[in-house]
Amino acid sequence: MTPTHFSFTSAFILGLMGLAFHRTHLLSTLLCLEGMMLSLFIALSLWSLQLNVIPFSTTPMILLAFSACEASTGLALLVATARTHGTDHLQSLNLLQC
Amino acid sequence: SILAWMGLEISTMAIIPLMTQQHHPRAEEAATKYFLTQATAAAMILFASLTNAWLTGEWNISQISHPLSVTLTILALALKIGLAPMHFWLPEVLQGLNLTTGLILSTWQKLAPFALIYQIAPNTNQTLLITLGIMSALIGGWGGLNQTQLRKILAYSSIAHLGWMIIILHFLPNLTLLNLTLYILMTSTMFLSFKLSMATKVNSLATTWSKTPPLAALTMLSLLSLGGLPPLTGFMPKWLILQELTKQNLPITATIMAMTALLSLFFYLR
Repeated sequence: MTPTHFSFTSAFILGLMGLAFHRTHLLSTLLCLEGMMLSLFIALSLWSLQLNVIPFSTTPMILLAFSACEASTGLALLVATARTHGTDHLQSLNLLQC
Repeated sequence: SILAWMGLEISTMAIIPLMTQQHHPRAEEAATKYFLTQATAAAMILFASLTNAWLTGEWNISQISHPLSVTLTILALALKIGLAPMHFWLPEVLQGLNLTTGLILSTWQKLAPFALIYQIAPNTNQTLLITLGIMSALIGGWGGLNQTQLRKILAYSSIAHLGWMIIILHFLPNLTLLNLTLYILMTSTMFLSFKLSMATKVNSLATTWSKTPPLAALTMLSLLSLGGLPPLTGFMPKWLILQELTKQNLPITATIMAMTALLSLFFYLR
């Protein structure tokens, strides 16, 4: 595993762990999601640089556009949650328990 | 596989406004949980493809060859459709939605990940798939036993059905598709009949006898079909899957699957 591969793999895994084990705020989950997308973007750009193929060079931009859409969806949901629950603490997200 | 990822993201984002249409706090909480799980799963799929690209140079999703990438892709797709052990979001999300949105979630949203699963079927790890399938059928059966809310019962039944579908994937992917089609038909029937009788708890199902007796009879029949009893259509995929499993010399697996079908049948019959 080359150092480049290792670095973005570890960045992704760190973001994934942060997303899975978020404790108090919903916002940190969204931030970790963005971090994961960023590591994927870097990986995709470096890969298309290594291959030197032209058709693949636009895919990082497409990934960036879609992750921006996703982040905005997450933020809109966060705003909606804050409007009804009052805060984005995770303890208040327990309306649907058995 | 960029297109696969984009398709999954678009389907997630299209469902989110449908879920929050109700302006109820439960609906929004369900939408938030759904969004988080689906976004994580989509990112993991992309990461698996990228890892495979870096390690073996192959970008096409139907030719993933590195075992770590295949495992990660299967786990991410299982998170997307709600297989155990990644099923924890499904009962809560389904509970927070109204019946129509829940119908779309259970049926249409399963089509896209299953298209991907079908494509990567030849490369998969047999042990992992069998583990996922058995765990899903077990948890689907046990978890549904103590439920009174209809939507959670349907959630656990979908977990069990997905376990059945996944278990046969390595041997005969066409059976998976057959099971998926029949499951979609039966689940749509259940959701629509619940919507017509406007019942959301098991107790309110008992009043449908006085309102519309034909509908109550139809609900009973389709419940039995979901459970997989012989004269009804629901038995066909289970029978074929068990047959295929025994052909491949896995009789213990087949027995366990049949036992868990009994568990689901019990809570259907209530």
